[in-house]
Amino acid sequence: MIDPGEAIMVRQLKPKLPHHYTKYSYVYAAYQEGLKQMKNHLSKARMSEWFWGWLLIAPTTIGLIILNIIPAIQTFYLSFFKSGDFGRGNIFVGLENYKKLVHDPQVWGAVRNTLLYTLLVVPIGVFISAVLAVLLNRNLKGQGIYRSIYYIPVVSTPAAVTMVWRWLYNYHYGLINYILKQLGLNPVNWIDDPKVALISIAIVSIWSSIGYNMVLILAGLQEIPKVYYEASNIDGANAVTQFFRIILPMISPTLFFVVTTSVIQCMQVFDVVYMMIDVARPSYDRTVSLVYLFYNNSFKYLNKGYGSAIVMLLLLVISIITVIQVKLQKKWVNYTS
Amino acid sequence: MKRRIFSVMLAVVFVLIMLTGCGNTAADKSPSAQPANNQGNASGDKTTNAAEPVTITYGLWDSNQAVGFEKMAEEFMQANPDIKIEIQLNGWSDYWTALDAAATAGTLPDTFWMHSNNFYRYASNDMMMTLDNYIASSDKIDLGNYPEGLVTLYNFNGKQYCIPKDFDTIGLWYNKTMFDEAGLAYPDETWTWDDLYEAAKKLTKPDGSQYGFLAALHNQEGFYNFIYQNGGTVITPDKKSGYDDPKTIEAMEYYVKFVKEGLSPQIFGDSERAPAMENGLCAMGFFGSWNLSGFAASDYMSKNFDVTVLPASPSGGRASIYNGLGYAIAPNTKNADAAWRWVEYLASKEGQLRQAELGIAISAYKGTADAWVESNKTFNIKCFIDMLDYAVIRPYSNTTAAWEDKTYEALRGAFTGEKTVEQACRDAAAVMNEVLAQE
Repeated sequence: MIDPGEAIMVRQLKPKLPHHYTKYSYVYAAYQEGLKQMKNHLSKARMSEWFWGWLLIAPTTIGLIILNIIPAIQTFYLSFFKSGDFGRGNIFVGLENYKKLVHDPQVWGAVRNTLLYTLLVVPIGVFISAVLAVLLNRNLKGQGIYRSIYYIPVVSTPAAVTMVWRWLYNYHYGLINYILKQLGLNPVNWIDDPKVALISIAIVSIWSSIGYNMVLILAGLQEIPKVYYEASNIDGANAVTQFFRIILPMISPTLFFVVTTSVIQCMQVFDVVYMMIDVARPSYDRTVSLVYLFYNNSFKYLNKGYGSAIVMLLLLVISIITVIQVKLQKKWVNYTS
Repeated sequence: MKRRIFSVMLAVVFVLIMLTGCGNTAADKSPSAQPANNQGNASGDKTTNAAEPVTITYGLWDSNQAVGFEKMAEEFMQANPDIKIEIQLNGWSDYWTALDAAATAGTLPDTFWMHSNNFYRYASNDMMMTLDNYIASSDKIDLGNYPEGLVTLYNFNGKQYCIPKDFDTIGLWYNKTMFDEAGLAYPDETWTWDDLYEAAKKLTKPDGSQYGFLAALHNQEGFYNFIYQNGGTVITPDKKSGYDDPKTIEAMEYYVKFVKEGLSPQIFGDSERAPAMENGLCAMGFFGSWNLSGFAASDYMSKNFDVTVLPASPSGGRASIYNGLGYAIAPNTKNADAAWRWVEYLASKEGQLRQAELGIAISAYKGTADAWVESNKTFNIKCFIDMLDYAVIRPYSNTTAAWEDKTYEALRGAFTGEKTVEQACRDAAAVMNEVLAQE
């Protein structure tokens, strides 16, 4: 680890060193000398700044290492093994799990389902949240009540939410089909029909996530100084122009954050699909997500090695998408205010 | 001046918040302190050297049965004040996920339920305590008092890992009101598949508001029974799939026919099967004896339903899928003796009688099953015990959980009409053999 301060010191020390040193030993000696001098030269203030800096990020860093990074490395390691019962007797199989994964139509089906689900949930979800946020940013009566109502689904347990929706969707006695029948329409097999089930799941996810995204966008909206609106009013801008010329550029960093995190969350969808779709249902192949498939393989079929390989594939897909998003961000996100 | 007033008010608010905060914690503390004192007094009264009771955890997966066991645990704790029983309830699927994780981490519940699907895995990895020594020195437990099939089911390499808890069979539940409306005689032991089919036809209403029979995509409470009645099999003795057996395919053809001809709704979700009966959607359905307490709790079910033995195949073949659970103790429990005392009580004649009386399950201990029959007068539940004569144990192997799911995936195409039943069965046999080959 080379500190910029250290590097500067090494550079400053250069003239004092004897010239018969070879290139490498010269650098090394300079570095040693630098370290020695640094101890004397470093001010107390600097040391305490370092100490407090590391101390303040320690909780997050330690948490991240223990809860995320180490398990991620272990998962990667496990993906080269055929796992034994209860974590004992793992057998090294090299790339066997990955070979199986490439030829497993269910895995590629799950990749397709997960991407399709993300494409359904993120654009529609973010759009609805943005519209709601703009509406709730005005001085409405009972603003607080509306904001709470939209936020309630976020606070509710996903499992409980899905249980309720599962009954609403029930083909024979669900409320939604009952209303459809009253209106003289044909009932829809929301959960079992392979063509409809993914949409049903997306609806639940959108419903339960708009509140969270709305609050974030609302915060972004309130950062916009009033003078911008006033100035544009004088220039004769209407509401639509204001939205595209002021609001959108000003909240683009918030939108970028919302879109990126929503995409990552959608790629990891599990609870709604798990609660709604049993393996025996005909819609299973059209709805199973990568994480659900990982869960079934790891914990139901007790093949943790293969499950780990599936998760590594998910990691790869998410990384690619996130890199693309970060590259694209330069085109539309406006950080200057 | 205004600013000063504001800051004074702010300070007042803060002080108020802190005061109420303190008030809350004080209020919180007193009720929790109360029971602790009471407990201390109670144990002080009973025994002079008042020791903290040891806690024995008890893992199970059936919420209906948990109600009865709470009662039994209370009675046990009253008789044994030095032991505290803590019930840990999980749903069927989560139970095994959690148990697997607990076994890996070495934190299994002290005592827990075992199932034939998973017994081999836990026994072969020594994740259950061998009970032979305890059984030998106990005057309450004699393995001769339990059905032999269940005792051997939970024996591995000559060691006994579990004591049988109960057994269950599958019965034909039918809606008496719907039979009366259609002017049909109730099903009885003379029924064959043909009677079932004819009755289902008459009980089905063309507008889709009522179906004659529930042929859901479910193995134990569905097609397994038909397969074994027809002389087919699901798994051969040399651990190969039986789904490509012509007798199995024939039985599956018969079962799926109910769905194809619209005599049964298309039901795939496990959680939707019982509501199909409880909401009057289906007139008949196969359900296991363990549903008794759930069905008895439903007003609609108690008023309209009854149960009888399963119909025989056209050639007179009879079968009902039969299974039994076992009580197991964690190998690394800190309180082995206390855990054994709880299991011993549950498995003893006394505990088994209590389990039966409370209608929790059909007790495995010989002679106690009648108490279970007496526990419920609403339904003719004696039929579940009558079927024991020809019952077939639920098919299992080391990887049951994996191939049961995989065969569901292969078979559901037959129920939706995507593939022929024969094709679905051959696919099921192929994936099942693939899983079995890895055992």
